Amino acid sequence: MNKQLLIILIFLGAVLVSIIVGPAQLTSEIFQLRISRVVLGIFAGGMLAFCGGILQGLFGNPLVEPYTLGSASGAALGGSIGILIFGTINPVFAFLGSLGVGFFVFTIARIEGGLFRDRLILAGVVMSFLCSSLVMITMLMGGRELYEILYLLMGYLGIIINSTNRIMIIVLIAVSIGLMVFLYRYHRELDIISQGIETAAGLGINIQKLSITIFLATSLLIGLIVSIVGAIGFVGLVIPHISKLLFGPKHLRNLPASFILGATFLLLADTASRVITVYELPVGVVTSLVGVPFFIYLYRR
Amino acid sequence: MEISEQLRKICTTSLIFVLCISYLVCHCNRAKETTDYRIVSLSPAMTEILFALGSGNNIVGVTTFCDYPEEAKKIYKIGDFSNPSVERIVGLKPNLVILNLPEQMRIKKQLERLKINIFVSSPSSLDEVYEEITEIGKIVKREHNADSLVNYMRTNIVPVENKKKTNVYIELSPRPIVTIGKHSFLNELLELAGAGNVFADLNKDYPVVSQEEIIKRNPEIIILLHPENIEQRTGWGTIAAVKNKRVYADINQDYIMRPAPRLVKGFKELKRIILE
Amino acid sequence: MKALKVQNISFSYDTTDIIKNVTFSSEKGEFLGIIGPNGAGKSTMLRILCGILEPQRGNVFILNENIKDINQKSRAQKISFVPQETHFALNFLVEDVVLLGRYPYLSAFQRERKEDTEAVEHALAYANVMEFRKRPINSLSSGERQRVVLARALAQQPKILLLDEPTSHLDLHHQYAIMQLLKKLNAEGLSVVTVNHDLNLASLYCQRLLLMYEGTIYSEGTPQSLINNENLKHVYKTDVKIIKHPLKDVPQIFLHPEGE
Repeated sequence: MNKQLLIILIFLGAVLVSIIVGPAQLTSEIFQLRISRVVLGIFAGGMLAFCGGILQGLFGNPLVEPYTLGSASGAALGGSIGILIFGTINPVFAFLGSLGVGFFVFTIARIEGGLFRDRLILAGVVMSFLCSSLVMITMLMGGRELYEILYLLMGYLGIIINSTNRIMIIVLIAVSIGLMVFLYRYHRELDIISQGIETAAGLGINIQKLSITIFLATSLLIGLIVSIVGAIGFVGLVIPHISKLLFGPKHLRNLPASFILGATFLLLADTASRVITVYELPVGVVTSLVGVPFFIYLYRR
Repeated sequence: MEISEQLRKICTTSLIFVLCISYLVCHCNRAKETTDYRIVSLSPAMTEILFALGSGNNIVGVTTFCDYPEEAKKIYKIGDFSNPSVERIVGLKPNLVILNLPEQMRIKKQLERLKINIFVSSPSSLDEVYEEITEIGKIVKREHNADSLVNYMRTNIVPVENKKKTNVYIELSPRPIVTIGKHSFLNELLELAGAGNVFADLNKDYPVVSQEEIIKRNPEIIILLHPENIEQRTGWGTIAAVKNKRVYADINQDYIMRPAPRLVKGFKELKRIILE
Repeated sequence: MKALKVQNISFSYDTTDIIKNVTFSSEKGEFLGIIGPNGAGKSTMLRILCGILEPQRGNVFILNENIKDINQKSRAQKISFVPQETHFALNFLVEDVVLLGRYPYLSAFQRERKEDTEAVEHALAYANVMEFRKRPINSLSSGERQRVVLARALAQQPKILLLDEPTSHLDLHHQYAIMQLLKKLNAEGLSVVTVNHDLNLASLYCQRLLLMYEGTIYSEGTPQSLINNENLKHVYKTDVKIIKHPLKDVPQIFLHPEGE
C-alpha cells in the first residue's frame, strides 16, 4: 500500500515540476506548451516502460527492450525515406517504416518450425542492423537532414503541436491506451511464462498464438510512440527492472508500476534537459546519462 | 657564288620560318592555358560567382546543389555538397578545385594527397566574401569583373540609417527546430539591415533550440526558410512576431545563405522585411 | 472409461523419428509408469499425452475426448504436467506460484475467486508446502521447490497427473515424500502417469508399467510380469539381478559390479 501511494505521489510531483520548471516565465502560453510536453512524456515514458515489461515477460529475457524487435530502426528508416521524398520527417512514414520492419521481422521469425518466440529476437536484431546501415546511407546522402534523423533516433518531447496535429496526437494516444489495456490482460500469462515454456503449455497457454498477438500489439504501440516522439532509449529497458525490484514479480502489479515509473522518469529527465541547456537536448541523452548510475545504485541494494 | 647565296637565303628563311612557327605554337599553348581552365566547383556560392565573373565555361564539374544560374545545372555533376565523388572530380582532370570548409574537409585532404590545386572558400564575414571574390578573380584572370562585382556588392550592402535593432528569429526547419547561430556573414547582413539574430549568442552554426527558448527571446520578426506554417503552433501566440503578423516565408534561402552576388538581393529582401 | 488413449501416434523432430506408431491406453485411477532407456521417447510421449507436443500422426484421447477437439484451457483443467525441473526466473512467493495453477479456470480480467483460493489451500496442504507459502520460491531447496510445482499442478484440479522424472535430483527424503504423495493422490482417484528412470521406485509404486524402447512400446504389464532379465537385457543391454522386494511382492533390480 505504502509503495504504491509513494510512487503516485512522486509521479504527481514530477508532473508539477515539469509544469513549473523551465527557462521561460510561466505564462498561459508557456503552460500550454509544457502541458503538451507533460502529456507526451507520460505517454512515451509510461508506454515504453510498459512495453518493455511486456516484452521482457514474453521473452523471459532481461535484456529485451521495446526496440529489440526493430521498431526504432524501422521508424528511423521510414523517417529517412520520408526526408528524401518530402525534405522533412513525416511521422506517417516513420510509423509505416516501423510497421514494415515489424512485418519483416514477423515473416523471418515464422520461417521453418522452431519456437517463434526465440526467432523473433534474432530476426529483430538482424533487421535492426540492416535498417541502421540503410539509415546511415541516407544520412550520408543528406546534409542538414542529418539532424532530423538524429533527433528521430534519440527522441525528444519538444515537438511542435498545432491545431492540426493536436487532434491526431490525441487520437493516437487514445489508441495506444487501448492497446495497452489489451496487453495488460496477459499479465497472468507472462507470470506463467517466467516459470517455463513447458509449464505454460501445460497450463493451457498457446505460446505461438500469444507470441504473435503480443508481438503485433507491441509493435503497433511502439511504432506509434516512435513516430511521434522518436526512439527514446533506456526507459523501456531499465524501468521494468526497477519496477520488479520494487513491486515484485507479479505482472499484475509491476506493469502498472512500470507505467508510472516510466512516466515519472521521463518527465524528470525532460525537465532536466530543459534546464541544462538552451538547446533542445534530445531527452534520450539525459535518460541514459542519468538512468545508468541510478540503476546501478538500485541494483546493488 | 649563286649557290651559296641561294643556300644562305634558304637557311635564313627556314630559320625565320621555324622561329615563327615555334613562337606561334608557344603562344597558342599559353592561350590554351588561360582559356582552357578546368575548374571543379564544390561550392554553390562559388559557382554563382564564377558565372558572374564570366568564367562559367571554365567549370567542368559542379555539385547537385549548384543550381544557379540555369546554365550551372547543365554542368556535369560530381556528387552532392556533403559527399562529392573524388573519383569523378579527378576524372575530369581539373586544374583547380574549389571547396568549402569546414564541411568538405575530408575531400580537401584527399585532393591534397593527389596534389590537385585547391581553392578554399570559408568566408566568415562580408569582407572575407569580397576578398575571396577578388582572389578567385585573379586566378581566372578576370580581375576587372571581380572588382566590379565586389564594388557592386559593397555599394548595395550598406548599413541602413535607422539605429533601431529589430530582433529576428530565423527558422531553418521545424522538426526538430533548427535555427541559425553565430553564422558569420548572415548575422552581419542582418545587422546592416538593422536587425539582430536572437540566437546570435549560440556558438554552433545550426543549433537546435527549444520552443520555450524562442518564446522567451520574443523575436519581433520571424523568417521561415521552410514551407511549414507556424500560425497554429501552441504557445507561440505571445511572440511579438506572431502577434503583429510579422512572419515571413518568402525569402529565398539561397539569397541569404550563400556568400555570392545574390546576397545583394537577399539584403534587399531583408531590408524590406525589417523596415516594413 | 479410459483416462488416456493413444492411437497410432508418431512423432518426429526434424528428420528423426522419436515415436513410431504407438498405441496404448490407461484406465482411470491407474498409476502408470513409463520406463525405458535414454532416447526411448518417454519424455516426448509424456508431452504428447498432455498436449504440449502435437504428434504428426495419430490421435490422443483424454477422458474420451480427442485433444484436438478441446481447447487448451479445458484440456489443462483435465490433465496437468509436472516437468522434471523448473527454473523460476522471477522470485514469486510460493502461494503465488501455486495460484498460477488456477489459470485454466480464470478468464482475462477475472480476479481470483473463493473456489480458486480454496483449491490453492488444498494443494498447499496436500503437497506439504503450507509452511513455505509466504516464502520466495528461490529460497527453497530443490526438493521443496519440486513439491511446490506439484502443488501448482494439483491446484489445476486435474483428473490426470503427468510427471516427468519427479524423483531425479531429489534426495532420499524427498524422493520418498513425493512418491508417497502420488500414491495417496492415486488412492483418492487421481490417474497418475510418471516417467521414471528409477526402475525400483517405478516397480514399487506403479500398478502398471510401459517399457519403451526406440520409439515403440516394447512391453507393457505389471511390474511383476514386465521386469525380467530378458526385457532388461534387450532394452538396457545390461545384466542385472532381480529379487523380490522384502516387504512387497514386486521385483527389485540390483546391479552387480563386474569382476567380483
